[in-house]
Amino acid sequence: MRDHTPTDMPTRNRPMNRGASLADDASRLDAVAKVTGAAKYARDMYPADCLFVGFVRCPVGSGQLAARDEAAARAVPGVLEVEIERDEGRYHGQPVGHIVAESKTALRRAMRALDARWTPGPCSVEIEQAAGEPPQTQGDIAQLLERAQHVLDATYETPVQTHSPLETHGGMAIHHGDRAELFSSTQGTSAAADGIEDQFGLPRAACEIHCEYVGGGFGSKLNGAGREGAIAARMSAKYRRPVSCFTDRDEDHLDTGNRPSSRARVRIGFQADGTVLGGHIHTWGGVGVARGGGGCAIPSNHYDLGRIQKTSEDVQLNAGAPRPFRAPGWPQGKFAEELMLDEICAACGLDPVEMRLRLERSDDRRDMIRTGARLIGWNQRRPNGSGGAIRRGFGLGTTDWPRFPRQAEAEVIVNRDGSVEVRTGTQDIGTGMRTVAGVLAADRLGCGLERVNVRIGHSSLPPGPGSGGSMTSHNTAPAIIEAALQARNALLDAVGDRLGIPPDELSIQNDHLIHDQEPMMDWAEACAKLPRDAVIGRASSDTPQSQRHVGEGHSQGVQFVDLRVDTQTGIVHVDRIIAIQSCGQVVMRKGAESQIIGGVIQGVSYALFEHKIHDKATGTMVNPNLEWYKILGSADMPRIEPVLWTKGQTGVRSLGEPPTIPTAGAIACAVFNAIGRPVRSLPITPDKVLAALEGGGR
Amino acid sequence: MTMTPDPPPRGQVSRRSFLQTMGVSAAAAAVQAQAERADAAQPSSAPTTLSGPGPIEITLNVNGSDRRLTIDPATTLMEALRWHAGLTGTKEVCDRAACGTCSVLIDGRLVNSCMMLAYDAQGSRVTTIEGLARPGSLDPIQESFIRHDALQCGYCTPGLILASKALLGANPRPTLDQIKKGLAGNICRCGTYTNVFNAVLDASGQSPLMDSEAPDA
Repeated sequence: MRDHTPTDMPTRNRPMNRGASLADDASRLDAVAKVTGAAKYARDMYPADCLFVGFVRCPVGSGQLAARDEAAARAVPGVLEVEIERDEGRYHGQPVGHIVAESKTALRRAMRALDARWTPGPCSVEIEQAAGEPPQTQGDIAQLLERAQHVLDATYETPVQTHSPLETHGGMAIHHGDRAELFSSTQGTSAAADGIEDQFGLPRAACEIHCEYVGGGFGSKLNGAGREGAIAARMSAKYRRPVSCFTDRDEDHLDTGNRPSSRARVRIGFQADGTVLGGHIHTWGGVGVARGGGGCAIPSNHYDLGRIQKTSEDVQLNAGAPRPFRAPGWPQGKFAEELMLDEICAACGLDPVEMRLRLERSDDRRDMIRTGARLIGWNQRRPNGSGGAIRRGFGLGTTDWPRFPRQAEAEVIVNRDGSVEVRTGTQDIGTGMRTVAGVLAADRLGCGLERVNVRIGHSSLPPGPGSGGSMTSHNTAPAIIEAALQARNALLDAVGDRLGIPPDELSIQNDHLIHDQEPMMDWAEACAKLPRDAVIGRASSDTPQSQRHVGEGHSQGVQFVDLRVDTQTGIVHVDRIIAIQSCGQVVMRKGAESQIIGGVIQGVSYALFEHKIHDKATGTMVNPNLEWYKILGSADMPRIEPVLWTKGQTGVRSLGEPPTIPTAGAIACAVFNAIGRPVRSLPITPDKVLAALEGGGR
Repeated sequence: MTMTPDPPPRGQVSRRSFLQTMGVSAAAAAVQAQAERADAAQPSSAPTTLSGPGPIEITLNVNGSDRRLTIDPATTLMEALRWHAGLTGTKEVCDRAACGTCSVLIDGRLVNSCMMLAYDAQGSRVTTIEGLARPGSLDPIQESFIRHDALQCGYCTPGLILASKALLGANPRPTLDQIKKGLAGNICRCGTYTNVFNAVLDASGQSPLMDSEAPDA
């Protein structure tokens, strides 16, 4: 099927991005597998004789397991094991035991037969139920606030957002006696191997992780093999049968991480001319039963906000713990910061673009702001609250992401038959990493992409980084590039030797060996001249040779929003978003655009819909599904225009996280512009819009 | 989606015996397909045989060929396809018709296979994502999805492709609004909708959405 991969994507629908990347038209190397259903994800594996593990979970915010019928659960046909490990719970979804059965149906029947009865206890599920007071404002800041002509005193709130990857969390383990395999839905193939030997009861060298395809992660699958993979491995060792353990959709909402809720109390002083003097910002993060992870990135340091005292508190609650979620802490911080700035603008009669151009610390972003204002048609923006029943609003937000160095290793093998293999132990969770690896190797080798087979997603490969922190491409790229260059040089040495031509007179371009600026033979013929089966290039990202391929600077971006608010229903309809983003040298245009579009969509969804809701009395999540936990769908879609910013870009840099950071803030600003009053709480649902319009909103 | 079961194999059962069968089915949750056939071969007054709660045998026509499966009577079509027929292109995501990821075509109509008992799919033509391509050539909608990068992690992709196929079957030149509504039953968490719209527009011979002109930078 590979031969049929359509690659000729018309560039006419995104003319501004044409020519921005190494491969404008390259399609994903795994696209055919994904559109035909041939791609096997870990959750798709049901080997003969497979066992299934499910967790018994606490159904309330806190409680005691008062009664249960383990004998009845064990008596269900097909049930092998029922084990209750504890009889108290601290949050809805906490595992307190497990059941092993021969089918998912038997597992469900056993869960019902167990008939667990819980006595609920007191619990706190919202930040306001458990938050402490902000610490005292330090003396110099207090004086600054007293001197300021104006002080904005406001509180901004964001909800818990669940990652909701479509493939839930889990793994499928097979124990072969002297070796074992775990098919894991993970964002870290190499990390998933850590400690798995203890679960399998085998030497580490006898255990392998496979992760060819992952149905989304967004940060929640950065925990290696996870609890699910670990118990699958353990049970496969115990029963010597394949074991699958995957969460159901409700469990995925409850106990596989989230973006924690936040509150930001802002007291900031400014002058009538819009000069921001500084102030005290205190944030709370609702971290569930975790000890940390509730950071809220305000101030962002994109803007010069004067002297800021920043304090924060992680608030423990009776709820599932957070995990990293696509730019942890950032969307919530930028929501508060951008809306805060627009509230200052409104008080001073300043234009939000003008204000940001004044405060912005990055010249590149200042350029992007001017460009974005032109593309969105900022000159059509009216004063806050103008218009009739349907009101239009414009807003903007900014983003920035550094590069976090991690070690990655790669091999590039050129075979005598002309085929090429790229080997690195990273994974493709939808980011396009498989294709990025192939394009980079083909580009440096000079051969056609169709010759390249990319091998990722196995722990036996040279170790690669996890797909988190937007670190995969930019850390893997230097190793792949260096390995490809080595393989290319080895090929030219060998072929030059055979042809009696000095290798430095040879080059490879467009799948052909070039001498004296003329094609001598095609790639396959050149490879056929290799005196051995293959030449191999190997590189690690942390060597000086590889470091030559690392780019400079941060990935930066600006987003502009154009929306309408129906003041009679409170419904916000986002019409258009311009997303300008830099990410170094773009490797694969289609994939880069998809990353930006996807980040923006998750940002819109966060701004308008998503909310993990707990009942305050019982601590039970009331919407652990996909009909009441609202995620943006096709009917809600704005027109999104990704703009790849190529000016001054070098190296391969981060792209996964930055595009989701500014969206919610830009939308909140646009809603403020439309209705003339700030909605300081996400998601911006119709009830909050109507309350704000009536003057009672928070 | 559809909760009305399609009739058992056509030409083998009278309407009356079918209704009798389904009446019992509603109460007892399971009736063996074999029994219906035997029933149909005889005058319709012959007694109906119940089966279950143990495993039952069913025959599903999937992607043009009959598949004989032994299943628990409570097995949904999605589960039968994934667990018993090895057709895991049909994905399980929400198991309650909220996401469209398990979409299949039943006699050309789009159905959430998690909301239908496998038993009730007997006698219908079931098309899964695995049945869309011909050997050596993809369906045009699959090609268009690839060309426009209308997929990221790929988990929603089979459902979205079948939903697009059903949409184009009913409306060969849908407007953008009709595409948005036509695909509203399918959730994509990575956020590929923009490219999905372009893929459907392109597959129906229409121009993809035009973006703004290049910035000066």
